Amino acid sequence: MASGSINVSIPSIPRDFGKKKRANRSAKLKQCKLDARREQWLSQGAVKNKGCKEELMGPRVSPQQIHEEERKNALENLQMRRRGVGEDGNGDGDENGSIHHDFDLDSPLNSPTGSSVLGGNESGTNFTASSSSSTTSGSSVGGSITEEDGEENDNCLDDWEAMADALAANDDDNKLENHFDENNSCLELQSSLEYEPAVQLDCNLPNLGFKNENLTQEGKVPPRVTPGNSRAWRPDDALRPQSLPNLPKQRSFKNIDRHYGQGVLPWGCASGVNVPTSCPICTEDLDLTDTSFLPCSCGFQVCLFCHKKMLELDGRCPNCRELYKNDPVKVETSVRRGSLTLRLARSCSMRS
Amino acid sequence: MQASRARLLKEYKEVQREKVADPDIQLVCDDSNIFKWTALVKGPSETPFEGGVFQLAFSVPEQYPLQPPQVRFLTKIFHPNVHFKTGEICLDILKNAWSPAWTLQSVCRAIIALMAHPEPDSPLNCDSGNLLRSGDVRGYQSMARMYTRLAASPKKG
Repeated sequence: MASGSINVSIPSIPRDFGKKKRANRSAKLKQCKLDARREQWLSQGAVKNKGCKEELMGPRVSPQQIHEEERKNALENLQMRRRGVGEDGNGDGDENGSIHHDFDLDSPLNSPTGSSVLGGNESGTNFTASSSSSTTSGSSVGGSITEEDGEENDNCLDDWEAMADALAANDDDNKLENHFDENNSCLELQSSLEYEPAVQLDCNLPNLGFKNENLTQEGKVPPRVTPGNSRAWRPDDALRPQSLPNLPKQRSFKNIDRHYGQGVLPWGCASGVNVPTSCPICTEDLDLTDTSFLPCSCGFQVCLFCHKKMLELDGRCPNCRELYKNDPVKVETSVRRGSLTLRLARSCSMRS
Repeated sequence: MQASRARLLKEYKEVQREKVADPDIQLVCDDSNIFKWTALVKGPSETPFEGGVFQLAFSVPEQYPLQPPQVRFLTKIFHPNVHFKTGEICLDILKNAWSPAWTLQSVCRAIIALMAHPEPDSPLNCDSGNLLRSGDVRGYQSMARMYTRLAASPKKG
């Protein structure tokens, strides 16, 4: 599981960097600034992992090679940093090992309290293997985010800074409360990020799915997974297990929408069986007013004319014989939706 | 007027469509008058009317379906709730318990149910009712079976 998630996460970084490099040549001041920061960081990181830097600087390497070598490096880094945690200020997020690259990028520069985190790092090393794997998977989500962001440079650069800031702020806090804090900071982060809504949606949805996988695979340590997916559980961070059921709900909504868009025809026809298209008393077609008119709680619909006749006759529902209420129930939105499908059904029956 | 006609036309189409669905009921409309219908219903099994085919005459009022159709047996039947001479049926849904949601088809079903479950306490045929009320089920059944054989069974040869 851990290696798998690393597998996913790592290749995104060098590719991302390459992309950045190319983009930076024609970049604005902001980009240059960030580039400088990155260079600075890379030179710092190069002390540890030269191989990584070589790959980044070098000409074109096939993705697979990058894949493997980067992965090796990452693993080495992971072990190295495990052993010598807190060698320099770069080690702030390092319970995750080097995989936290993208978040670490600017944090050493921005966070003056890098040293205070060292204690936290030590506690981080005490984590069990499963917990570290979960955090790596969490960071891999971050990697995928940046990868997607890389397609829009301006946004992404802002994001990087914002992320770094958020992480730096996060580093000030005690690591024991880490997941809550990180959630909060990422909350800030998300609000500070100036995503276009669509982008945000695109980022969030795949992440949601990914996190779900993580959760199911590592059900033992659900709270550990929280930090990485803080973006997804925004509404109620602390109560993450409770927010989990929201996820399929969202998805099902989406599916319904899709259904509604694509598969209207069978659905509409199916519901057309239940919803009367004509008054069962006089057989006149029910118009919109009639279909949204529910005279009786039993659901038996009649047209307004027949309803008036019923009232004159004995004032009882023809179906259930209950006395009609004085103020008949106006149909709620859900039923109005039913009338909508009804009209669809009618139209499709006309078509056929 | 027009409402009843439209409603009957709809019922006619319904009957044509669901002819196979209910083999115990054959509902046919008069060729020239949509307000006149006749129905052939099979006597329900495990009753003295089993094996008989009973003809019903429907006379639909113009206020239909706000008013119930008038139904009577054309076939002689020995039943507490059917007048032996006129074939008039004492059935609540054909009187005060009528609902516009009923159809001619559902009326036929109700009549079949009435044949299987007579109500001797509101008799139109007093002889039949008295037999049942006195507990002479066997007498009632034999009488009803006899009339079914006499009047409702298909003639042989």
